[in-house]
Amino acid sequence: MFAEQAAPTAQGLLAPPSAEPPTFPRVAVSGYSDCSQPFQLGERSFARQYAHIYAVRLASMRPSLERRARSRWGNDIAVRRLSELQEGEECCVVGTLFKAMQLQPSILQEISEEHNLVPQPPLPKYIQPSDELMLEDELQRIKLEGAIDVQRLVTGTIVAVYGREQDDGRFLVKDHCFADLPPPLPWSGPSSDRFVLLASGLGLGSVSGEALLSTQLLVDVVTGQLGAEGEQSCAAHITRVILAGNLLSQNTQSRDTLNKAKYLTKKTQAASVEAVKMLDEILLQLCTSVPVDVMPGEFDPTNYTLPQQPLHRCMLPLASAYATLRLVTNPYQASLDGVRFLGTSGQNISDIFKYSSMDDYLEILEWTLLAGHISPTAPDTLGCYPFYKSDPFILTECPHVYFCGNAPHFQSKLLQGKEGQRVLLVTVPDFSATQTACLVNLRDLSCQPITFSSFGADSED
Amino acid sequence: MADELYLENIDEFVTDHNRVVTYKWLSYTLGVHVNQAKQMLYDYVERRRKENSGAQLHVTYLVAGNLLQNGHVCHKVAVVREDKLEAMKSKLSTIASVHVYSIQKALLKDSSPLYNTDYDIVKTNLQHCSKFSAIRCAAAVPRTPPDAPRAPAPARSPQRQRDPDATAGTVNGHGPRAAKPPPQQHKGIMGMFAAKAAARPQDTPKEAKAEAKEAPGVSAASSKPPTKNSIMNNFFGKAAMNKLKANSMPEQPKEEKEVVKPSVAVAEPESSPNTVAEKPGKKTESDRIQQKDKKSKTKRADRSDDEEESDPENVKKKRKRIKQLLSDSSDEEDVPPSPTPEEERAPSPPPEPALKTELEPSSTEVSAGGRKRKRKRVLKSKMFIDEEEGCMAPTCGLGRCSSDLDEPRQTRMSNRKAQEQDSTAPPRAAPSALEDPLGAGCRRGVPTAPAALRRLLSDPSHRDPSTLR
Repeated sequence: MFAEQAAPTAQGLLAPPSAEPPTFPRVAVSGYSDCSQPFQLGERSFARQYAHIYAVRLASMRPSLERRARSRWGNDIAVRRLSELQEGEECCVVGTLFKAMQLQPSILQEISEEHNLVPQPPLPKYIQPSDELMLEDELQRIKLEGAIDVQRLVTGTIVAVYGREQDDGRFLVKDHCFADLPPPLPWSGPSSDRFVLLASGLGLGSVSGEALLSTQLLVDVVTGQLGAEGEQSCAAHITRVILAGNLLSQNTQSRDTLNKAKYLTKKTQAASVEAVKMLDEILLQLCTSVPVDVMPGEFDPTNYTLPQQPLHRCMLPLASAYATLRLVTNPYQASLDGVRFLGTSGQNISDIFKYSSMDDYLEILEWTLLAGHISPTAPDTLGCYPFYKSDPFILTECPHVYFCGNAPHFQSKLLQGKEGQRVLLVTVPDFSATQTACLVNLRDLSCQPITFSSFGADSED
Repeated sequence: MADELYLENIDEFVTDHNRVVTYKWLSYTLGVHVNQAKQMLYDYVERRRKENSGAQLHVTYLVAGNLLQNGHVCHKVAVVREDKLEAMKSKLSTIASVHVYSIQKALLKDSSPLYNTDYDIVKTNLQHCSKFSAIRCAAAVPRTPPDAPRAPAPARSPQRQRDPDATAGTVNGHGPRAAKPPPQQHKGIMGMFAAKAAARPQDTPKEAKAEAKEAPGVSAASSKPPTKNSIMNNFFGKAAMNKLKANSMPEQPKEEKEVVKPSVAVAEPESSPNTVAEKPGKKTESDRIQQKDKKSKTKRADRSDDEEESDPENVKKKRKRIKQLLSDSSDEEDVPPSPTPEEERAPSPPPEPALKTELEPSSTEVSAGGRKRKRKRVLKSKMFIDEEEGCMAPTCGLGRCSSDLDEPRQTRMSNRKAQEQDSTAPPRAAPSALEDPLGAGCRRGVPTAPAALRRLLSDPSHRDPSTLR
């Protein structure tokens, strides 16, 4: 999208200095509203059990699932609770899925002396053919079999199954359905080209330095220093930059203090300190030119459980002096110029990846949208705050742009729903590995990756 | 001719300084728009190549455009060496921009020198890093700092409690003193700089107040300690308070003794050190401490000026602290006629370092004001040791004689002495003046040291022996 507009003046700077070169004003932010209040936790109490979040999840999603079930299998189907099941009766049951996985890491097994187990090394996937699916509702649970893909589904999903109970106590599933796309939001996007840059996984503080120049090039393109005039004028249409997590690299996470003797580590500084300073400088360069939303990620200095709270602004003294810097939660939901963005830093998708047979991040992203829940595996395998009043991860409105960060590569898809929903699904790649960021055009919900490269000692690209 | 200047500049940078000249570096160095910098670089390259085809110049270009990759159109931005430029251009389906990225003499193996050059120049220009960029953002304005006044607020709140006390005690001259600690405490060192500057204008009203102070005498002062006690409690906390109480005991008798003197002493805070032994000593000590707190030993020259002017406040401030400590200890000992500010000056230096050294452990839990106090205390005690010329407290008879403790003190003493050699005469006069009260304090302090004090003094701090004085 840049190139076509910029092409005419592409070679313009291969010339002697001209008179006063033009300066392009950044397109103003016309409408921004932060909708991530449900993800902001105030006073936190961990004295509650996690059962409440499942109860709330089921209670909130039951009505919409029953509606879906009736529309799919007929209005006259019997919707039963598990306690009301009669053997042989064809009915529909709404409940929470639970997948019993043998390989699922269990702390109790690890420390159990009778098993004498060596702690399991982290695996890429924990699925096994012997996994079993169970349906739980408020009071009972029942084993599922039949037309349901055990490998694909994960614990915590709210599902409606249609079938009957067999004599051996299992439920034979004839069909199942999820909550499907949430109701659509009205569209009020801009009429002219407006771009939002999505980037994630900057990975500062890592040992390798190749990505540093690419990061600098990214900042330069956005701030309008790089490129010929045409490209700069296009870059002036970038209204926002969203950094979706993992601003710090995983290398900053190792703490020698845990392994080494104190006399060796007393004077050493944590690796994240330098990395955060570098982040502050990069954010300062960005903030002087464009509004930036910074989401924390898995390796960033904030809390571990979802929803992750914003980074504290005292860590970014230079950049937080500017009003254009917004430190936001993970997941993040906001309305930019009438376009609703919803996204995470990727922990939810990568956790589902570990416990499901789905391999494609985009497929998983789409599946979470269809299941109506951002992160069904929380709190089972992904850390989560023990909500009890409401589950903020339930999708109640269909966003226009749904993204996840730190994916292995860039993918995007425009999903059309039955009720007129139009969602752009974007998997934002890990910048430190791929040097790729995404440009989303708000006018027509199209997305283009933007790659940066430099020359290394060996690369001939 | 103005055009040619930039050519000469670039020539100088590239050939003479052997620099890697990136467009961004040139833009910041010459203060020009980035696009102009890119054009300048291109112009330079062209001209040099025309003049001298064997010119030792290597150029890197930035190429951006659309590229078909993995089935979708991807916008690619790449920095390429000159020899790869055409290859990259041919790869791109549409070229969005081409311009010179950098010029350097040597052939670059990788792009880290480019990154380093840009990083350095941006680091030195962080405050206006978008000054020469082609895009201006109107929304990027620094936030108004509502945080600046917030930082002092927590430190100020304990002093707020003092303020009503101070207003009530303006007769005693505590008013100005209470007003002074807040600005000092909440800014720490910088606050002390500011406070010292502010202290001077306050001198004259303070002196007047100090004189007026004498009239009410002891009675008015006595009303202050109880209230100050509560404030000190807030400041130091219970644990510290007990220590303070125990510690301030020796000062009480000294205070009582000095009640007589203040009337003379206060009248002229700037009086020469010789007139009143303890007071000028205190004054100079306080000044010295303040100076040292400001970490400018070179300021000793100013001390002579500052002593007189800021002394009342400093001494008053110290006095206030001591007073509170003394008032704390009043429970344990016979209640002295609560010391007026002048009286607090009188308490001999040993009590002061005693107080201060005891306050040190407790001050850790106090805010920046307490920390400042701690610093003051350290210096003061050391200075006393200096002036003492090796009068070791243990020999006074309290029964604690640890020779190893003397040594670190000796070295510190020698350091302090060396530092004080540099100072001007007036501070020098202090040592002689101080010896008297020290001796007196030593004598006095020994018989009345109670068990609590002995307990405190058994704290394994090297400064302990000084407290015995």
